[in-house]
Amino acid sequence: MTIMTTVQAINDALGLKMAEDPRVFVLGEDVGWMGGDFGVTRGLFDEFGGERVRDTPLSEAAIIGTAVGAALVGMRPVAEIMFADFIGECYDQMVNNAAKMHYMFDGQFKAPIVIRTACGAGFGGGPHHSQQVEGWFMNVPGIVMVAPTTPYDAKGLLISCIEDDNPIIFLEHKALYSKKGEVPEGRYSVPLRKANILREGADITIVTCMKMVYDSVTAAEELSKEGISVEVIDLRTLRPWDHETVLESVKKTGRVLVVNEAPKIGGLAADVSAVISEEAFHDLKAPIQRVCGMDVPIPFSLPLEKLILPDKEKVKAAARKVMQG
Amino acid sequence: MGVEISTEKYLDMYRDMQRIRKFETALEREFKRGNVPGMLHIGLGQEATLAAIAHSLQLEDGLFPDHRCHGLLFLKGTPGEKIMAELFGKGTGICSGKGGSLHSADAAVNNFGDNSIEGSFMVTALGVALGWKMQGKNSLVAVMVGDGTSGRGEWHESLNMAKVWNLPILYCCVNNGYAISTPVGFSHATPDLVDFARGYHIPACQVDGNDLAAAFKATQDAVDYIHSGKGPYFIEYQTWRWQGLFSGEFRPPEEVKYWKEDHEPIKLARIELLSRGVAEERLAEIENSVESEINRWVEFAKHSPAPDPAKAAVNVYVGWEVEQP
Repeated sequence: MTIMTTVQAINDALGLKMAEDPRVFVLGEDVGWMGGDFGVTRGLFDEFGGERVRDTPLSEAAIIGTAVGAALVGMRPVAEIMFADFIGECYDQMVNNAAKMHYMFDGQFKAPIVIRTACGAGFGGGPHHSQQVEGWFMNVPGIVMVAPTTPYDAKGLLISCIEDDNPIIFLEHKALYSKKGEVPEGRYSVPLRKANILREGADITIVTCMKMVYDSVTAAEELSKEGISVEVIDLRTLRPWDHETVLESVKKTGRVLVVNEAPKIGGLAADVSAVISEEAFHDLKAPIQRVCGMDVPIPFSLPLEKLILPDKEKVKAAARKVMQG
Repeated sequence: MGVEISTEKYLDMYRDMQRIRKFETALEREFKRGNVPGMLHIGLGQEATLAAIAHSLQLEDGLFPDHRCHGLLFLKGTPGEKIMAELFGKGTGICSGKGGSLHSADAAVNNFGDNSIEGSFMVTALGVALGWKMQGKNSLVAVMVGDGTSGRGEWHESLNMAKVWNLPILYCCVNNGYAISTPVGFSHATPDLVDFARGYHIPACQVDGNDLAAAFKATQDAVDYIHSGKGPYFIEYQTWRWQGLFSGEFRPPEEVKYWKEDHEPIKLARIELLSRGVAEERLAEIENSVESEINRWVEFAKHSPAPDPAKAAVNVYVGWEVEQP
């Protein structure tokens, strides 16, 4: 075991896969000698050269298109979209092309690509460098969304993603990049579509992902002092998400908070709530509560940003509310 | 201009022009009878261009067909009845009826399928060409685009990156004068679409797309250039589509007369063959045999079963069956 940041853990996974599989290559803006805007690809250019660590122009559609095309002929591209907000520029490539390729040609082609992208608010990035985009893809059959929380999961999940045959969006929350944790050396993998119960509890199930996992776990620790026992589930794969683990937990606790940084309307939290309502309604002791971002763009000013985002205190308040039934 | 085209070669291409003409004519007839669902885009009037391209590609070359080149789909090597059945939405179609006219791919002949967000696949082609280049293959990728496509961002991203990475891509721009109703000169800074390619330092030529010999020679020269490893090439085939709008003909009568009578591609090819001493009977024989071939395809499509309902939720993800909520 080594202590690594999330950035180092992702970098480790990329280097490992590139070394063992010549089909794997990386492309994106400034991923080459500079090592990416957040340093995630640092050192790969020196180790593997410009053929396999490709700098591109500011052409997001071409970055994803190139990745899809190369995947069609057997390569394993890992594309970087510098900020998730820029996905607007390549949404068509992801939604109309990568996601549908396997279905509309009835299995003749597959597009095994990984699209890494930095998402999330909390640092004054403003409306175009802060968004959570999972809601943009909830309604897109064929797309897989994976979102690690810990450095351990970041490396293990990325290895699984590169080895999987589907188009995968790999969401890297910027606030988690510098978090440190234990990461094994060498190869291991973390399974896709499998949620992780980070903390067991009896009274409330919190279903969450990415940075909100930390807020939720801290809230759970503090709530335990009030006598409220909280189970925290990190979804890890956001689409398709692990219904089984969540429903099992809900059947045990009967109370649910769905905590998601993205705006509340129509997103991941809405889908999780809907499935629980359909599948476990009679196990519920209180209405499901969604603790999400407000339905506004991300403002630049830090106090405003804090106001519109969910956090530990908002999670605690919602927990007390569901305990009252 | 390169080598002279032998009469036998010319006859082969003439036969394929007739196949396109009769395929599209039959398709239009069946569409009007209600046997072909969806929207109809046909390549009548563009037969010389399409035959010239088909005869310049090898099986191992890649093809991204557009919405108006059904002929290329079977000329690339896919059995014609499977194309016709796909257009009828039948289970025996090349994509089991999931793709239709706008999404017909055949992995066996390196046809990567139309995307039908016109021009969108221009960036997918980058990846196929890059992947093959990285794998040491010497195949090229032909991309079918129209004049209207030059308005798309992907058009420009693709041309730029194909040149930067020196990729083996043959851009076949079928300039038929109109994007649905909008004339080329009305919506683009230049009516000469080669200007865009030249702006990206890609060698380009304009050719009379209704002159079979000229179109074939230009395509051959382009293919030779690409195979020599020099990078992409762009051809603008100047032609005209017979199909008007759903509401009917909208173009001036003298323009219609020029393209459908005076400069009609099959008539021009016939004149050339007769002047080479080919007997009228031989041409009639070709036309009759093509007619019965196309009729067989139509009958096959008509009598094929609808897709198996069990197929509706298959091949959404690779290797995963997702429970349908």
